[in-house]
Amino acid sequence: MNATPAILAESLVKRYPVFRGFRELVRRPFDRRTVTALDGLDLRVEKGRVFCLLGPNGAGKTTLIKILATLVLPDGGRAAVDGRDVAREPGPAKRAVGYAVGEERSFYWRLTGRQNLEFFGALYGLRGAARDLRIAEVLRLVGLDGAADLRFNSYSTGMRQMLAFARALLADASILLVDEPTRSLDPLAADRIRTFLRGELAGRQGRTILWATHDLGEAADHADDIAVISRGRIRLHGPASSLAGGSRAVLREAYEQAVGESEKEP
Amino acid sequence: MSGRARTAAAPGPGVFRAFLRRDFREAVTYKFSFISSVTGILLSSATFYFVAKLVPRGSPSLGPFGGDYFSFAVVGVAFAGLLGMFQEGLSAVVRGAQLSGTLEALLVTPVAVPAILFGSSLYSLIFQVVRTVIHLAVAAAFFGLAFGRVNVAGVLAVGLLTVLCFLSVGVLSASFILVYKTGNPFSWIMGTVSGLLGGVVFPVSLLPPWIRWISSLLPVTYSLDGMRKSLLASAPFAEVLPDVAALAVFVAVLLPLSLAVFRLAVRKAKRDGTLSHF
Repeated sequence: MNATPAILAESLVKRYPVFRGFRELVRRPFDRRTVTALDGLDLRVEKGRVFCLLGPNGAGKTTLIKILATLVLPDGGRAAVDGRDVAREPGPAKRAVGYAVGEERSFYWRLTGRQNLEFFGALYGLRGAARDLRIAEVLRLVGLDGAADLRFNSYSTGMRQMLAFARALLADASILLVDEPTRSLDPLAADRIRTFLRGELAGRQGRTILWATHDLGEAADHADDIAVISRGRIRLHGPASSLAGGSRAVLREAYEQAVGESEKEP
Repeated sequence: MSGRARTAAAPGPGVFRAFLRRDFREAVTYKFSFISSVTGILLSSATFYFVAKLVPRGSPSLGPFGGDYFSFAVVGVAFAGLLGMFQEGLSAVVRGAQLSGTLEALLVTPVAVPAILFGSSLYSLIFQVVRTVIHLAVAAAFFGLAFGRVNVAGVLAVGLLTVLCFLSVGVLSASFILVYKTGNPFSWIMGTVSGLLGGVVFPVSLLPPWIRWISSLLPVTYSLDGMRKSLLASAPFAEVLPDVAALAVFVAVLLPLSLAVFRLAVRKAKRDGTLSHF
């Protein structure tokens, strides 16, 4: 086991303020109600592992990923990527992670795939020939070298997701944060992405992948480790071989039990 | 959760070049926007050219600015557009990135947030400066805008302080948009109120005294006053100095205030988890 884990969360707490209407604001101006997204979450992801994060909607998966990407500040506890505290050292923490957001609106639609990568590459400090080389490399890696000079708005959903991976790989970060990468994809495109993440990025390149998903089969087939998060805490955590044994049915049973027990809590 | 955050390193010129290239590449895909912008300049200049025929040359209230209403109004409208861009460009960038969905992708890069904000608005700011120059050139070439003996030092001093002042207002606006998303009060105060009371299309001296004092609280009053005197009235620097001094006071207050407010706004949005909400 490595001394410094790729990802570490200790007693992580996040509460969001509840939206209040105008009448409520006037009646109780100092009332600050919150909803708890993370409730003392602990997590440790070792380097080079594919770590699948499962959990129902609203369990806290996206909040955890956004905290690790420095987009949201935690209210308590601490989180670190590659030993860098995300709240106190956001600059080095950003350099340690690639955030492969599946949100297709995160690109400039009227620019080509290559032009998008040139722009984001410059923000990651890539310049001149080194930048062009790196862009050619990541485009080849994600299989978009033939479509690099087409406008982003002509890409299919699968191609857009692949370009998101290409962007996340520009900085050559050792940790990738991936939030539901196969959502809205057809089965073949989804399989290509799973194989790419598991086989290429983790298997061949040795990157750490924190992979949030709702797909139990995806986790059973591709993860090294699996955690189930519910109501802001990790409820189940272990190697995929022991939690799933390569079977979606076994994992489903464990998942249902973990989530069910968490929902009985007051 | 204590201690001061270590922020990203200062970005190099390559980062700003990348923002400019991105926006230029996007702009050229909208083929008619430049043509409609120049057409707008021509129509605006023509409108004031004919309105000016109603105002006799040498009106006492226009005396400090060269005496010609057309020149007075064109300089006012051209620079008010530029100042509007400076004060609203940054918030428009934040709002645009929130709506288009690109804000998160920008914020996970190692570039500091103020540099992202400035870089994203750089193209629009430069475009608006060019547009202002074209506006004045068109008005001079086709409608007889009469420049005096231009006071270059006055133009530069007033121009620089004006840019800093209105960028500070822009940062305050962007901070508001970052947290509250819409309904920017700075834009209303600085845009709508300045349009009426800042001396854009008529001299402030025409306002009744009971309301004129509000003009003295608006930076646009000093920017336009200093710029008109420097461009149109052949005024020496000493005559522009009160405007320069007033703008310097605005900058001394607004610049540090806006940067502090912006830092708080980013922290609040990250704390509330609403950074990319719209």
